[in-house]
Amino acid sequence: MKRWIGVLLCWPLTVVATDEALTEVMRLLAGVKSLQAEFREEKTLAMLQQPLIATGRLYYQAPAYWRKQTVQPQPEDYAADGEWLTVETMDAGKRDFNLNGYPQLRPLVEAIRATQSGDRTTLERYYRLEFQGTSAEWTLRLIPLDPTAATYISAIVMRGKNERIVSVETLEPDGDRSLMIIESH
Amino acid sequence: MRRWQIPLFWLLAALLCGGIILKTPVAADLTLFVPRADPVAELLLDQFRSGPTTRLILIGLTGAVEADRATVSRRLAEQLRSSGPFVRIANGADALPEAELHILFAHRYLLSPTAGPERFTPEALRAALQQRLRELQSPLAVVQKRWLPADPTGEVLTLLKRWQGGIREPAKRLGVWFSPDGDRALLLAETRAAGYDLAGQRQAVTAIRAAFATAAAGTPVELQMSGPGVIATLAEDTVRAEAELLSVLATLGVVLMLVLVYRSVRTVWIGALPMLAALLAGAAVVDLLFGKMYALTLAFSMTLLGETLDYPTYLFSHRQAGEAVRDTLRGLWPTMRLCAATTLLGCLAMIAPDVPGLSQLGVFTIAGIAAAVATTRWLLPALLPPDWRPARVIGVGVWMDALLKPRPRLALAVGIAGLLTLLALVVKNPPVWEDDIAALSPVPRELLRLDQDLRNALGAPEVGQLIAITAPDAETALQQSEIVAAWLDAQQQKGLLAGYEAVARTLPSQQTQRQRQAQLPERDVLATDLARVAEGLPFQPGLFNPFLEDIAAARTAPPVRPEDLRGTLLGTRIGILLFPDERGWTALLPLSGVREPKLLAAGLPPSVVGQTWYLDLRAETNRLVAGFRTTALHRLTWGVALIVAVIWIGLRCWRGVIAALIPVSIALIVTVAALLAFGERLSLFHLVSLLLVLGIGVDYGLFFSRPAADPEQRRRTLHALLVCCGSALTVFGMLATSELPALRAIGLTVSIGVAASFSAALVMARPLLTRMS
Repeated sequence: MKRWIGVLLCWPLTVVATDEALTEVMRLLAGVKSLQAEFREEKTLAMLQQPLIATGRLYYQAPAYWRKQTVQPQPEDYAADGEWLTVETMDAGKRDFNLNGYPQLRPLVEAIRATQSGDRTTLERYYRLEFQGTSAEWTLRLIPLDPTAATYISAIVMRGKNERIVSVETLEPDGDRSLMIIESH
Repeated sequence: MRRWQIPLFWLLAALLCGGIILKTPVAADLTLFVPRADPVAELLLDQFRSGPTTRLILIGLTGAVEADRATVSRRLAEQLRSSGPFVRIANGADALPEAELHILFAHRYLLSPTAGPERFTPEALRAALQQRLRELQSPLAVVQKRWLPADPTGEVLTLLKRWQGGIREPAKRLGVWFSPDGDRALLLAETRAAGYDLAGQRQAVTAIRAAFATAAAGTPVELQMSGPGVIATLAEDTVRAEAELLSVLATLGVVLMLVLVYRSVRTVWIGALPMLAALLAGAAVVDLLFGKMYALTLAFSMTLLGETLDYPTYLFSHRQAGEAVRDTLRGLWPTMRLCAATTLLGCLAMIAPDVPGLSQLGVFTIAGIAAAVATTRWLLPALLPPDWRPARVIGVGVWMDALLKPRPRLALAVGIAGLLTLLALVVKNPPVWEDDIAALSPVPRELLRLDQDLRNALGAPEVGQLIAITAPDAETALQQSEIVAAWLDAQQQKGLLAGYEAVARTLPSQQTQRQRQAQLPERDVLATDLARVAEGLPFQPGLFNPFLEDIAAARTAPPVRPEDLRGTLLGTRIGILLFPDERGWTALLPLSGVREPKLLAAGLPPSVVGQTWYLDLRAETNRLVAGFRTTALHRLTWGVALIVAVIWIGLRCWRGVIAALIPVSIALIVTVAALLAFGERLSLFHLVSLLLVLGIGVDYGLFFSRPAADPEQRRRTLHALLVCCGSALTVFGMLATSELPALRAIGLTVSIGVAASFSAALVMARPLLTRMS
């Protein structure tokens, strides 16, 4: 019982501590001006017998350019620049979307882009943030605020070390999930 | 008769007329031009009243920066969707509500045009599955994958595109529709109220204004609106405002002139009585006979005021000392009577039972002029003291003799000039008539330009071009509209039109749905094929069972009928393009960007049952307007013949007839020539104004050629005519400055006509009389 009271008393302190760490992580991330990385993504879907595996490259340019270029198993290109998302796929060709016009796309893009640019304000517009760990090794859990978005995504979990995002995991309410592991060079 | 009896009688009659008028609607209606029993014209009228294109409100947002315009567009659309008067608000970012999406989903195999047999071959299935697999890879799959197990061939997507596409989608910026140059954000609102329902349209317009006020608060974004409903309500407002302003100014002008000339306030209200009588009597008789008054008649009534003001003026100017008012009138009466009779009989010719619009003009004029002249003859002497005489500041004097002195050479010169003008008109044969309905419309031109701009930018169907199919039942109408739609696809390939809308695109006929059903694969065959093509793909076994079940269910499902969609957004949209009426059922295919209306109309596939019509609304109305004008001219010729006869009966001498008519003929020629020289083309408003010029001009001719030898009398006549001409110029000169095409046409024509009539009558009437005697 005493232990519980102790935990309860210390709770505000831990919140303050993690908030400070989150601010620090955001500051570190904001310091990154550009980035090139390789990724490997594994999607586990109930509809499929085996996971889908994709590899490709990521590009980032502060503050608002973020591109995911899939190479395997088939080329696909997603580039977010400011308000625009350019999608190029084999089946539909190249299309431009404005993120303002597609409220269901915006949170998906901002989850990784706003995290990468250390833009906490934007993140908090779409997600509730749960931070764990220290600035040296951290986990940031994003929980969608919008109820419609919540029907697609239960959480996006970013793991990182200092100014580097190591992995992005997307969890869907139906149990489907995808894990993207990022290796910068 | 006692003195008060006449005023009392007049007052009662006026009140009675007023009572009748208050109850009668003014119709800004095309029925005016429509001869009875013309099936195309009937369809046409329906289209103008309630056709689908009349329900569209086009909205443009300008000003500020692109991002602001896009934000306001989104907020505005959101607010309008939650308000009552609209069936649909489209701005490019519109999604179908979830419930409606499920309706489309439930009927996808009957409704989707891509759900043909080629979709279910093993090769096509394999390709579809591979494509779905690739889509799962996408980060966007989270949103789309829910359809996959039941719809691996992607029919919902096809249906959604159909629903959202409309005719031709504008370019998108920042996720919403924008004009090609990016200056305007665009929205399309479809009202629940029909186009003719002005109250409903006004409500919709007000709702848009209110929503815009909140959506654009704090930004410098500006709202532009167009569409038939907006134009109608705005036109009503501007016309009313401008007509009110001008009539106040004109009244002030005339009052000022009367007071200046006669130095008597009494002339003002006494002079107004015949005018008032004419308006009340004309309107009341029209209301009794027709039950409604056309806007054109109302416009004409304004011109009539010009003539009715003349009668009391004749009296005022001819008053002299030592003569009772009654005696002055008795002296003027033969000429005044003749003046009125010429107008009355001239208008008799316009009354024809099969052309209600023209008859109204005739009836109005006859009743109005009769009332005005009777008021002048009998009410005025009852109201005025017998020895009343206005003080004349600009008096009758000897200076007038110089003007009145006959100048035969000048008369000859004027006559020759008139003839030469006529000859030039005949030889040059310039385009004289303006039959375009747009030019008749009281709508400011800039609004029409805005409408065209917005329409082009939005790719919205023009109000002008559509195909109408009439059939005994909905199914036949749908089948025929499918035939026409297929034919239109081919024409679109050839570039004859930019696009079209058809109910068959969203709701195929039952026949087509049954054909689709018959071609859907059997469950076992499909299951085997699917299992085979899914080999080597990572889909879970049994994943596509919902698909197999839905196809099996679709094979026996009853076809979707229009009434099955009642109460939904889909149903409302379908109901606008396919609806029952007294002809059975009508299906409409609005067209956009038509290049060759004639070619399209000529090649239209014929109906087996019912009828298919190509309606070029503009061409059809123009045809009706031209027909109306031809009839009017034809009747006018008879009117002129009647006028000649009346004057001959009144004067019993051909010299007098010629002296009265030659000046006005020349004046009319000069007026037409002047209008054409100003770059005007003659519309119906010009034509009715010319009619008035004819009436006034004949009066001038008659008065100038009065058989009064007394030079003092002649001076008085000149005085009267100067005042008449002056007041007419004051009123109609004011109208000529109007921005509204109709008012401008009336003002310009009557101003020029009155001035020309006066000059010609002054110069020619007496020389014609004396020369020939």
